[in-house]
Amino acid sequence: MKQILRLVVKEYRLFIADKVALGLTFIVPVILTAIFGAVFGGTSAGPRGIRLAFVNESSSPIATSIEEALDTTKAVRLLKTFRGENTIEQKFDSLSAKEYVQKGSASAALIIPADIFSDTSLGLKVKFFYDPKNDIEMQMLKGIVQRTMYSQLGNLFPQMMQKQTEKFLGADSGGLFNREMALLISEYFEVDTNLILHPNLMAWRDSSETTSDRPDFFADLIRIDETQLVGQKVTNPWATRSVGGWAMMFLLFTLTGSATSLFDEKKSGVVLRLLASPISRIQILWSKYLFNVSLGVVQLVFLFIVGWLMFDINVFPNFFNLLLIITAAAIACTAFGMMLAAFCRTTQQASGWGTLLILSMSSIGGAWFPVSFMPEYIQFFSKLTIIYWSMDGFLEVLWRGVGILSILPNIGILLGIAALVNVVSVIQFKKGHVF
Amino acid sequence: MIQIKNITKSFPSVVALNDVSLEIQDRSFYGLLGPNGAGKTTMMNLLIGYLQPDKGELLIGGQKQTPENLNLRKNIGFVPQTIALYDDVSAQTNLEIFGSFFDIKTNILKERIDEQLNAVGLFERRKDLVKTYSGGMKRRLNIAASMLHNPEYLLCDEPTVGVDPQSRNAIFDLLQKLNSEGKTIIYTTHYMEEAERLCDKIAIIDSGKIIAEGTLGELVEKLPYDEAIIITKNKQTIQHRNSLNDFGVILDHDDHFELKPNNGIPLSKFFEKIEHLGIGYQSVELHKPTLEALFLHLTGRTLRD
Ligand SMILES: Nc1ncnc2c1ncn2[C@@H]1O[C@H](COP(=O)(O)OP(=O)(O)O)[C@@H](O)[C@H]1O
Ligand SMILES: [Mg+2]
Repeated sequence: MKQILRLVVKEYRLFIADKVALGLTFIVPVILTAIFGAVFGGTSAGPRGIRLAFVNESSSPIATSIEEALDTTKAVRLLKTFRGENTIEQKFDSLSAKEYVQKGSASAALIIPADIFSDTSLGLKVKFFYDPKNDIEMQMLKGIVQRTMYSQLGNLFPQMMQKQTEKFLGADSGGLFNREMALLISEYFEVDTNLILHPNLMAWRDSSETTSDRPDFFADLIRIDETQLVGQKVTNPWATRSVGGWAMMFLLFTLTGSATSLFDEKKSGVVLRLLASPISRIQILWSKYLFNVSLGVVQLVFLFIVGWLMFDINVFPNFFNLLLIITAAAIACTAFGMMLAAFCRTTQQASGWGTLLILSMSSIGGAWFPVSFMPEYIQFFSKLTIIYWSMDGFLEVLWRGVGILSILPNIGILLGIAALVNVVSVIQFKKGHVF
Repeated sequence: MIQIKNITKSFPSVVALNDVSLEIQDRSFYGLLGPNGAGKTTMMNLLIGYLQPDKGELLIGGQKQTPENLNLRKNIGFVPQTIALYDDVSAQTNLEIFGSFFDIKTNILKERIDEQLNAVGLFERRKDLVKTYSGGMKRRLNIAASMLHNPEYLLCDEPTVGVDPQSRNAIFDLLQKLNSEGKTIIYTTHYMEEAERLCDKIAIIDSGKIIAEGTLGELVEKLPYDEAIIITKNKQTIQHRNSLNDFGVILDHDDHFELKPNNGIPLSKFFEKIEHLGIGYQSVELHKPTLEALFLHLTGRTLRD
């Protein structure tokens, strides 16, 4: 044990003397994290204030509620008026709105026509004019508008149904059918049949006096009640998610680099010199392992503290559990580095394979963007990576603020991966190619 | 004493050592001379316990050398064939690191480091990074790093490869001093001059086999002749061949004559005659009985082949 500690001390002395390694371990990740932090805007994901010229020609209540919903959406800035040639502020009409977009003063125009909800149509009808120069922005804007309109559909649904039945069955039998359906529904769901047949009479507005009648019944059928259940205290969700991922990637690079120091020591003959001293091969391997794990823990803690300084990530409330998952992650990453050292013959080979594997594991494992964005068959592979389970553990700890029990599976899986990889490496080391 | 008993060591493609037995007395300066690939380094790696023999055993001071016998290593200093140092730190740091594995008290280690730095003439440069050193300086530090624990046995694997003459002489002086102080030294080389100059006993190794062993005197006695004079064939030498018959027996070879001098003929007379005949000195070459000649005699090849 004494010899192992002396060897670890040796590793640290050499590491500290190696300014390049120091820089790659601590400075470069900070710079890159800062750059990505700036690119992704720090505090919140998603766009803000996309300019949308807006004309509402309809007086129907549904048009009003769409307008209100869009007005309160942070991602869009609804422009209803503009300054004309005589600098008088005037309301948009569909022509001026279109011109406004053509001039480039707004990204798009949304026009709600008078017949937004016609008797003959099956749904809502709006007009959307856009400038395709910014495709991504356009996709987002369309998504937001569609979502807003969809959220109003709950209220329209029964009316649309009734119109369709009357259209197909004729006014008489259609009306009869509708009334019988209404009776049936009212019996099961305990709602007034009037509300089903003529919801727009009373349902849209002002629910204060009609709560007992459950006027929002249909809206409730579809309405998505958004409440953030976890991470309520997370000041910086983007950073909390991604700093862990980036940190893991840098950690893998660091540990691959330092695990392959064995090659340099072998090439120079230092391994011979060490083994001619009272040191065994297994002590050298253990010292590398211990050094790498401890360096990994130091690097991860350092990067999380940088995350705290730069992005306000709450690392301290749950620091002990964070440290546990960090240690497990470092052990697993070290195993990975040692495996590369066991299988490759030269530093160049190891760094080539290392880069390939680290970049693919990082992307698949979710270091760059969330795993849920990926196709399902890729998500299967995500779960085979160290990155995935480490990041999941970091998020559990930082986001949910969970206790040790909830991260035990993550720690177990990480240590399991490490054990498996280590067995493979030891078998390979025993073949004696490395030393 | 180091006893090498019937050692055989094979690698997948080659038998590096084939039934080698040697005995090295304490306090001797023992040379292992052989061309590249002869098996010298393999023998060293076995002696330090880095490799294990396929057959046979190694005893150092009566103890069996194995990869597990870590205690025995405290008695052995090893100078690898390569420059086994950390390039990015100073000589001082290198010595501190390599000295740290021998259970030496900190203050004593510090003294030893200064002592070794002085011995190899690097004390002034001890704070400089090793990568700024010349090849000769690195070689000297390579030796210093092996002596920190004051071992009884010092194994040097070609410690002067790629070294300038000045550093080479400094290394020779250092090793001879260590030997005179009582260290047992095993020294491998493919330079016969080194073996001749340094070693009191020499084993000549070729293709994993010891082909001769003994003191320098014993070895050259194995040559069937003492001295030979080689005379390159050209117009003049062919013309005057018979005028040289008085000096000894002349053998005819493809491109040269070989003159085996008769006993008691002074060389000065021979050279007077050469000058008299107008034969240039450059076509005459004196062959002393050397290890090189012995190696040539035993293997039909030169050491540098
Ligand atoms: N690790 C190894 N694997 C395979 N062959 C080796 C290995 N080490 C040495 N050899 C072979 O063994 C022979 C002796 O090598 P070595 O002991 O290094 O010779 P020397 O030091 O005298 O130049 C050579 O043919 C060499 O190629
Ligand atoms: Mg060699």
